[in-house]
Amino acid sequence: MTTHPLRVPAPRKARTPFRIRATTSLAASGFLLPNVILLALFTLFPLVYAFVISFQSLDSLGWTTWAGFGNYVTMFTDPVFWQSMANTGVFTLFTVPVGMALGLAIAVLLNGVLPGRAVFRSIIFLPLVVSGVATGVLGAWMFDQNNGFIDKMLQAVGLPSIDWQSNGAWALTAIILVTLWQRVGFDMLIYLAGLQGVDPAVQEAARVDGASGWQSFRYITLPLLGPSTFFLLIMNLIYSFQVFDTVWAMTRGGPGYSTTTIVSYAYRLAFDESGPSLLGYGAAVGVVIYLITLAVTAVQWRLNTRRELAEQGM
Amino acid sequence: MGSTTITRRTALAGAFGAVTAAGLAACASTPGPVAAGGPAGSKASKRRVSGTLTFAFWGGSDGETKGFQEVKERFEAQNPGTTIVLKTLPYTGFFSSVDRGIVSNTAPDVFRVDYTSIGKYISHGVLLDVTPYFSRSETEAFLPAFWSAVKYEGRAWGVPHQTDTSAVVFSRKAFEQAGITSVPDRLEDAWSWDEFSAVSTRLRKALPASKYPFAYDWTAAGAYRWSSFVYQAGGSLLDADLAGPAIPSAASRKALDFTKGFFEKKWVPANNTIKTTVYSDNFFLNQTVAMTFLGDFLVPEIADKANGYQGGEWGTTFLPRDKAAAADLGGNAIVAWKGTSNPDLAAAFLKFLVSEDAMKRFCELATELPTLQSLAGQTLDYQTRPDAMKVFTTQATTITDTVVKETTVPGFATISTTLQDQLELGLKGGDSDTTLRAIASGIRQAVAS
Repeated sequence: MTTHPLRVPAPRKARTPFRIRATTSLAASGFLLPNVILLALFTLFPLVYAFVISFQSLDSLGWTTWAGFGNYVTMFTDPVFWQSMANTGVFTLFTVPVGMALGLAIAVLLNGVLPGRAVFRSIIFLPLVVSGVATGVLGAWMFDQNNGFIDKMLQAVGLPSIDWQSNGAWALTAIILVTLWQRVGFDMLIYLAGLQGVDPAVQEAARVDGASGWQSFRYITLPLLGPSTFFLLIMNLIYSFQVFDTVWAMTRGGPGYSTTTIVSYAYRLAFDESGPSLLGYGAAVGVVIYLITLAVTAVQWRLNTRRELAEQGM
Repeated sequence: MGSTTITRRTALAGAFGAVTAAGLAACASTPGPVAAGGPAGSKASKRRVSGTLTFAFWGGSDGETKGFQEVKERFEAQNPGTTIVLKTLPYTGFFSSVDRGIVSNTAPDVFRVDYTSIGKYISHGVLLDVTPYFSRSETEAFLPAFWSAVKYEGRAWGVPHQTDTSAVVFSRKAFEQAGITSVPDRLEDAWSWDEFSAVSTRLRKALPASKYPFAYDWTAAGAYRWSSFVYQAGGSLLDADLAGPAIPSAASRKALDFTKGFFEKKWVPANNTIKTTVYSDNFFLNQTVAMTFLGDFLVPEIADKANGYQGGEWGTTFLPRDKAAAADLGGNAIVAWKGTSNPDLAAAFLKFLVSEDAMKRFCELATELPTLQSLAGQTLDYQTRPDAMKVFTTQATTITDTVVKETTVPGFATISTTLQDQLELGLKGGDSDTTLRAIASGIRQAVAS
């Protein structure tokens, strides 16, 4: 057997007696049990129950008939479902990369020596602590096309006003802008933490080797921010795919279905009192959301694992 | 445009005249209220009740909340040993909360329900059958159309507590600036669709591009108010036996084309859609429109000196009419949950809520309209803008029996959803034939289920 020169074998631990091990396991299980019960009660049970309901025709007063795959068949022939999927895709496409790029840019800016950077960091982070519904209501006021602040501002500088609420494309743009405003603080925070974990000696070495500022950032800092980027990518994809509160407060999914996202569609189907109260169909849409989110996370996870293995030369 | 005024008594007597006749005809076609365990009114004379019950309602306005509080106190005083626990909830989420309560067996004993939703609860069999608690004379005290609104298959499933309807509220200043000098002050002089179009055209010319002639109250669950135009054009949503759609029809096509024109001619703000977050009263309050269609329950909000309309004097006039005048059925019934542990107390409280004194006081406080024949002939002492309430009261006379019957069919909640979804698309440039066919399909499914 050969031993790596830098790898020192750990000292052999004395074997713990069985009784002590059993007692320790029991104590650990005791501490874990409340969490396991809560997890089963509030996460696993609703998840399984949602799957069951998705195979039923269930209304808000509990009338149930077995629908088999009926809800899923309806879904795949439902044009509104597909439009909601497309809207969610567009929303994700514009919020995730743009939000992360903005967050990174602000984090780099506020990571340097900047007067009042703590104040700027707080201001940018502040929208994140406001609830999504409150942000949405605020967004609805700001983007009110008759009396909103944004249109008044555009007119003040000689630009034409925009139909933020009655034009589908502009309505979706307004939601994306409000979402970015809210979420960029989170991206900034994670990237700030990542930047502060980058060893200055590595960058110093790059500078000594003649790297420009951009080269240092592109080839040294950015790769070292990989874990932060990976974390943000997953979180932002999940957030974007599950966006609801801002959409509901700003547009209710309108005009038409142009801002209806997949979760707002599920909500309208199942829980909106002005909606059809189709709990079974809503649950089927929810199951699809769950599966897509799971698939996206799994793919990202696998890609990241490959990247880490490649970096380690394995 | 005449200026003669009609008395409130005249208005209300005629108010529900046609409705009464039609309602009686409807009653004649269905069996009378016969209780399962005895004749009608077998428990009507039951006097002593005791115990506690929960009454859930949404706090629509301060007046409504105050009205219910007063009723509770008077009921408890008249029935020692009883306690009514008031549960005031926001309108948003109210029915979800009640539904969850019913499914989990924890529903409030008594709750409020609008006429467009009552059919859902009746058809699910979750309401207390109150037929045995009302004698024939007590049921006949109601305006027949409203009593029929709580009836299904000959049984009564609640009490019609109050009603409301829409009319037009306008800015006198905006009208003067547009050169509109007279406004209908009699129902028979209400604008025809052509006259209404002429008024809107004049306002459009006089107003800047950022302001609009009017806003319509068809937002969200109010989408069914679009059907007023169908009724005005001489049509209806359902066929005569309420078994299928009565559209597409010439009347519904005319109504849809007329209302699509609101957007094409920029008479309404582009965001006055079904799914907007801005309601018709908001458009008027922030002075984006010169007039608005709204329900009488919003009069106190508009009249509020501090937070109400700040654009000067405002007046009220009638809904436009075409072949006929027609208005929407608003308002609410009060029902008891079938699973209540004290049905006698629940029924006694329902009866008290619709007693003449309690209903009169509630309607005066809440600025709403009564459903008892005796009150329809009285002058209520409305605290807020009684002149405006006179217009709404008179407008209520155009709630036809057809409107009541169609609005209270068991599947109307589903019809309302169909109207929301299809009108949202159809009013903003969608193909009229496609829209009407889709609405008809939704109605067909709703009445079949």
